[in-house]
Amino acid sequence: MRQAARLLAGALLAPSAALAAAQKAAVPPPYAGVYQPQGVDEIGWWREDDESERVLAASSLVIRDEALTGYIRGVLCATVGADRCHSVRVYVLREPTFNATMSPNGTMRVFSGLLLRVRNEAELGAVLGHEFGHFERRHSLNLFRTRRTGTDVLAWTGLLVSMAPSYRAARAYRDLQWSIYGHLFRYGRDQEREADSLGVGYLNQSSLPPQAAAAMWQNLMDEAAASARARGLRKPNFKAIAFTASHPPLAERADTLAGLARIDGEGRDNGSARYHAALAPWLPLLLDDQIKLNDFGASDYLIQNLARDGWSADLWLARGELYRARGNPRDVEHAAAFYANAIALNDALAPAHRGLGLALLKSGKPGDGHAALRRYLQLSPDAPDAKLIGMLVPGGNAP
Amino acid sequence: MTRIWAALLALVAMLALPVAPASGHKLRAKGEAVTVADSGLTVTPGRDWNRVSGKPGKNAETWTLDGGQLNDLTFFGGIEPGKPLVKERHKKKDPLPKFGKATLLVELPELLEGTYRAYKKIGAFQTLSTAPTKFLGQDGVAFTYEYTDEDQITRKGEAVAAIVGGKLYMVSFDAPRLHYFDRAIGDVRALVATARL
Repeated sequence: MRQAARLLAGALLAPSAALAAAQKAAVPPPYAGVYQPQGVDEIGWWREDDESERVLAASSLVIRDEALTGYIRGVLCATVGADRCHSVRVYVLREPTFNATMSPNGTMRVFSGLLLRVRNEAELGAVLGHEFGHFERRHSLNLFRTRRTGTDVLAWTGLLVSMAPSYRAARAYRDLQWSIYGHLFRYGRDQEREADSLGVGYLNQSSLPPQAAAAMWQNLMDEAAASARARGLRKPNFKAIAFTASHPPLAERADTLAGLARIDGEGRDNGSARYHAALAPWLPLLLDDQIKLNDFGASDYLIQNLARDGWSADLWLARGELYRARGNPRDVEHAAAFYANAIALNDALAPAHRGLGLALLKSGKPGDGHAALRRYLQLSPDAPDAKLIGMLVPGGNAP
Repeated sequence: MTRIWAALLALVAMLALPVAPASGHKLRAKGEAVTVADSGLTVTPGRDWNRVSGKPGKNAETWTLDGGQLNDLTFFGGIEPGKPLVKERHKKKDPLPKFGKATLLVELPELLEGTYRAYKKIGAFQTLSTAPTKFLGQDGVAFTYEYTDEDQITRKGEAVAAIVGGKLYMVSFDAPRLHYFDRAIGDVRALVATARL
């Protein structure tokens, strides 16, 4: 959501929609090839960045799956072109928020939460292309120059913290420090506009439909609205036709992006099938990470969004887990139905039987519940919680 | 205002408050029975511990040996149905999972996991084992877990929990996987064995 906040900050100050739509997407300039840092500022900045990448490469948060990382890299290459993408190293981080960043030395961090939120290669390419646009135009260097006062602040903060006795101070300092998550920038509106324009420009030249940029943005707004609704927060009044009637500044951005897209690119293959196939091995883990963030509205929105092309056993299971975790009596009833749907699609899915059993026990149907738990133990006798589940089943006591 | 300036101002404000040195950490001396977490839960430490000032929640209390980031022993004493384990940062914007009337023993590890993930905003959390046990003279659950915090240190944890009279009682111990967990876990288990209600 940091990314979203950043985009929002840029979008709030975006020019009027009519003006923006009249703009043309920047045609990506010829690529300059291997770039070496110039001048004392940039050399120092890269040195810091190299160090940050070294820490990142050793981090236990990096998802080390050659196939997945290679696939994401492939989508980046398809978006920005093969010559450009040589300068990039992609790291997938297990971090369930919507974000991707690119740092000056060519380190691209893709957060796993992003993978759960985009629906096809074109949308993924739109986000990666946007970040690549910041990189290609070296926006972060400009920010670095204007922010050197900021790093002085950091040094002072360290000194003050060393004098402070409380844990809270230590934690606040850690938030300021550079971490493996990289430098999180809040780019200016002109830089955001330039990156938007470049991002769509790459897509225009690629084989992917550039309309995906606007679609992705719309999807993100819808998720935010669903999250706010479920939490009882004052929601943005999104109307049915989102592009024209939604939250104005955001709609303007979506409009801008839509206006920049080449109209004849609309019929291109967005790579949805390839994307889902590549993500499939990781989907259960990513869904689990999302559900346990305790953001009911957003999680339910995401699951239903993923199910748009058809429900799978994994998706029904995730929805069951989500409802059971909230745990109101009505939720437990729904959860039991969702687990049953999952089992109907894949009877060998052990966690679905576990969930079904627990949900039935909680909704006062111990008979069926015990049967489901027995089936769970049968399917996965070595599960970490097998003994405990065994105690819930009469006569099924742990071995 | 940039984030950095805002954070600096917050820090200055924090420092400007009169804070006594070692602000209220209390010694929990070896062999002396004490009640913890504003509840009827009593433990008798087998060695000296520090009670960390400031409670993570209404019915929670943390002890440490070397500092909260190196060993964190937290007692949850009588969490009522409908309440989260620790204090929520914001009830509406940042809600935490709640303990419920219908929560089963086997769901307690999920409750702790959900609380950690939502509170610390982390993705890398894994429950390693779950087993039935006796705690406070009742059927309880003992479980171990591992997670990587934003400070990039992988911590191991062990917890034991039981539901007594509809309320949740739990003791959890977290420490860096390297060195600190193994060094103190024996003392922690001995301490948990002295827990009485």
